[in-house]
Amino acid sequence: MTDPDRPDYPIDEAVEAADGQPVAPVSQTRRRVLALGAAGAGAVLSIRPALAQTAGSVLTCQIPVPDSGRAGSFIAPDGSTVPAGTKGAFAPPGRPFQGEDVKRAMAGGRLPGTTYESNRAYVNYIRRLQRGQGGFTCFASLQMPRG
Amino acid sequence: MRFRAAPADALLQASLDPFTAVFHRPSGQTHLLVSPAPEMLAALADGPLSLSDLHDALAAAFQLEDAEGLADRMAELVAAGLVTAEPAA
Amino acid sequence: MRHSVTVRVGPAAFRVGADWRSPIEQLRDLYRDYPAFGGVPDFTVSLSAARPWRRWIRPSVAIGGDFTLPEAAPLPLAHGLLAAEMAMNLQMALGWRRHLLLHAATVERDGRALILCGESGAGKSTLAAMLHRTGWRLLGDEFALIDPATGDVHPFPRPISLKNSSVALLRDHGRWGSLLTGTPKGDIRHLIPDPASIAAMTRPAVPALLLFPRFGFDAAAREVGGSEGFVRLTTASTNYTGLGEAGFRTLTRLVHHVPMAAIDYPDTDVALTLIEELWR
Repeated sequence: MTDPDRPDYPIDEAVEAADGQPVAPVSQTRRRVLALGAAGAGAVLSIRPALAQTAGSVLTCQIPVPDSGRAGSFIAPDGSTVPAGTKGAFAPPGRPFQGEDVKRAMAGGRLPGTTYESNRAYVNYIRRLQRGQGGFTCFASLQMPRG
Repeated sequence: MRFRAAPADALLQASLDPFTAVFHRPSGQTHLLVSPAPEMLAALADGPLSLSDLHDALAAAFQLEDAEGLADRMAELVAAGLVTAEPAA
Repeated sequence: MRHSVTVRVGPAAFRVGADWRSPIEQLRDLYRDYPAFGGVPDFTVSLSAARPWRRWIRPSVAIGGDFTLPEAAPLPLAHGLLAAEMAMNLQMALGWRRHLLLHAATVERDGRALILCGESGAGKSTLAAMLHRTGWRLLGDEFALIDPATGDVHPFPRPISLKNSSVALLRDHGRWGSLLTGTPKGDIRHLIPDPASIAAMTRPAVPALLLFPRFGFDAAAREVGGSEGFVRLTTASTNYTGLGEAGFRTLTRLVHHVPMAAIDYPDTDVALTLIEELWR
């Protein structure tokens, strides 16, 4: 970043001060400024793979709650999976949720066929999905901004 | 502790003012770097340096501001895999 | 699969098989102006019954093929044509490696290509159809194929699926597929590209301008610089990462050589005006 007030060339000729008196010659080279503070986000941005783009824009997708690896488990209010019949947890919905329904629920709506509490439990489950779990790709694609 | 940059033939670089796009061949990852990251990588081109030696090398070529940020910037480069930390010789 | 057809769009050939006759017949009709293809297809796509009884009872199409996503929602048989289109898109998005793919519509005039980059629902298909109607050659409405060796954009001119509101704007022009009602995207119809565009589907063009259009805002246009464009295009590409070095070289070259701009528009007429101004 070049400071316009500091030229990039050696200044070794005599320089006059503002009152007209000569001052000692300046022989050091002016170098460009390098700021190491990197205000804001930092100096390195890594490009993340656009896996979610693939799914979201070419297909309507669905999210099973829970995924097939945990079929039969109940969903606790915080979204974790617990053994069937656990007190306070909710039975899984009968069928997967469609992408559009999940998107609406993320924005404050309610998943079809749910109560306030069971909706919150299922949404928390979905929010906790990790790569490799069924429904993750669909969920990730819903997060990508459109347009 | 010294810091070693990825060798020159492990990187592809393209200038996208004001950023520099860098492709790291071993990982297949792409990063966008902004000053002072490209200058730091260039200063490590001839071999690994400690943070204080890197500071001196940069100070010889540039007028440094916020010099205490050097460690944080180095941490970013290490996290991205473009620089590795190794024990001092 | 009991019923099948092979279609070729640009450089890619798809063999589509189905458990039912109707989607295959609809595909045959939609692609009847396209050259016949007798070679080995690049991709196989299957439209099969989601469960054995789903072949007859509330028939439901599960999308399959060389490349699949396990979470794809099945579609009713009435929307089988849409299922086929989605399946072909998925093969390209996940499996095509010969070009860098961008989610973009592309049109061409005088050998120079205009690339309109945006996600599904961003309005690029409608813009492409409108420009095509005013005489631009259509190279594609969903994917722009960028050649890693030359930087040219290669055509992938499949029939454009348009929402009914857009159809009304263009109804008097061109050949259309049948109306599909109640799909996840609403009522849609396919506009078949004109014979000249189909005949030219192996002829690439040099990209001259790349736009990021945004529908539903007051008219505005601003230049997009190299870094911003590069980042936006990595998110608009389905295979940038998969192409590795070739992806990096292709995209940095595109960004170096092609001017880019973002345009906001409240309606398509305004968009066309903005585009004409930027095209000069």
